[in-house]
Amino acid sequence: MPVCAHPVPPWLLMGARFILGLVAAALLWEGAVIAFGIRPHILPRLSTILSAIAATPGAYWSGFLRTLLETLIGFAAGAIVGVLNGVMFFRAPVLRDLLFPIFVVSQTIPVIAFGALVVLWFGNTLLAKAVIAFYLTFFPVTVNTLLGLQSVDPRQTALLRSFGASGRQQMLRLQLPMALPQIFVALRLAASLSLVGAIVGEWFGDTTGLGVLLLQAMYNENVVGLWAAILCAAVLGTGFYALVAYAERRIVFWGAEQ
Amino acid sequence: MQRRHLLTAAGAAAMFPAILPRRGARAQGTTKASLRLKWLPQTQFAGFYLAKARGYYEAEGIDLTINPGGPNLLTENLVATGADTFGLSGGTDSVFAAREKNLPIVCIGVSHQQTPFVFVSRADGPIRTIQDFKGKTITTWYTGANSVLLGMLAKAGLKPGDFTMQPQQVSVTPFVDGQIDVVTATRYNEFYTLMTRMGRDKLRTFAPEEQGIVFPRDTLIVSETTARQKPELVKGFLRASMKGWREALKDQKAGVDVVMAAAPTLNRDHQEFMLVEAGKLMTAGAAARDGLFWIDQATVKSAHDFFLEHGVIKAPLDLAAAYDRSFLEAIAVADRRA
Repeated sequence: MPVCAHPVPPWLLMGARFILGLVAAALLWEGAVIAFGIRPHILPRLSTILSAIAATPGAYWSGFLRTLLETLIGFAAGAIVGVLNGVMFFRAPVLRDLLFPIFVVSQTIPVIAFGALVVLWFGNTLLAKAVIAFYLTFFPVTVNTLLGLQSVDPRQTALLRSFGASGRQQMLRLQLPMALPQIFVALRLAASLSLVGAIVGEWFGDTTGLGVLLLQAMYNENVVGLWAAILCAAVLGTGFYALVAYAERRIVFWGAEQ
Repeated sequence: MQRRHLLTAAGAAAMFPAILPRRGARAQGTTKASLRLKWLPQTQFAGFYLAKARGYYEAEGIDLTINPGGPNLLTENLVATGADTFGLSGGTDSVFAAREKNLPIVCIGVSHQQTPFVFVSRADGPIRTIQDFKGKTITTWYTGANSVLLGMLAKAGLKPGDFTMQPQQVSVTPFVDGQIDVVTATRYNEFYTLMTRMGRDKLRTFAPEEQGIVFPRDTLIVSETTARQKPELVKGFLRASMKGWREALKDQKAGVDVVMAAAPTLNRDHQEFMLVEAGKLMTAGAAARDGLFWIDQATVKSAHDFFLEHGVIKAPLDLAAAYDRSFLEAIAVADRRA
């Protein structure tokens, strides 16, 4: 039997399916609005929304970049502080008992309550938004790092210790790598949360960002603009999530959870 | 692998300071200051944007940053704490409320000389006079407009139990769809949306002025510290702002352009309409004679007495301390008139 000489690589196949899915969804959207005569202020046609973005691409592009930057800074800071917290709590249970309840309390306060305060403290700066994104992300990373570290088999730790490994070596060679699958679960969650934080942060008086565009559209009853901003936020959120998931697949290649 | 990961993250953290806006004085002799608006960028604030774009603040030695407001911000708080130098705050209502709470702010000018909102019913509906509000459902903002409505209805002989008053949400759609009978609309925002969706001739308006209630809004405020220690800064800000506003009202295309540059996704037709309406509100009443931002003490006093009578403020306030027009008076009247 002759075999196809140039088999389609799997990534191309996946990409093609993904694009096909997008096109199908777009057609369904456009078609449904026309077919059911949905009023434009309930759901505008996709083509109307895309042409609204094309009309002022600069505003959407600079908004996208600004929100992306806030999201990334908040995410990075939240990830670093979260992992460090997890390690600290793992090493010093006293600190965990002392600080963990405070962390829990901090997380039960709705982030919107902090928004006005953050503006008072940091002004209309990029930092203010990054702080809110950070606030939403560090906690899940802390919890999952701690969980991951605690789930390491103590016999493995004992073995390493019997070889004379220092605490630092145990942490870097065994415990942290073993905790990585758990940490990445939190990072994927944090990827979405940091975007929420950045957008909410922009609702407290800023000049650029997807959150600003959302707010302007919302209060001007500009439904097309609202959808355009939602679409941009979706692209940003999905893209960032995909990036973190990709990193997870590469770094935690042994991980069971995908 | 883990170490490399951490290093990348640390690198990202080290980048932070580089992307933060640089603070500190740029040119010598200029003072850094900020103006916090009461809302998102729109032509309601065109004069400030134009004054900044044309360098009028710089000419007064002020390096001014314009910070937009939003639904969750109280300008009085931001100015009182020093987070912002100047503020265009809600109106006489929010200044009264802030002074009652002992926030150290002073009003240095009033932008909208008349009540900027009206109550709207359907022209072909059963509501023809204010008495017809009886038994109807009305939505309004619980930030001062509710008291104005209660006051208007009280003057018309209606008691609070005679009608249903509900907090108004972002959208006017419930009114357009006929779910409620009366909606509150600012002359420059919601009224435009109502006009475009229903047509001007389908709408009947009830203005507080018709009931003898004037409720000036869009107040310029500074902290008591700024007023005391930097009177020249305040005067310079007012001079530059007036210049920007006079030009924005005369050359409305320039006024709309400068706002559209700050917020390109806005609807230009709406912004043009808004600037016309804002101009009317700013030059009405005493402002026609005494100029932009004029503080008409009699009007402020009657708004104060009205709020006191309806229990919105509990005790009389020292109006002379709360409304200081000495900064306006330092500018020649010919330069103040639009």
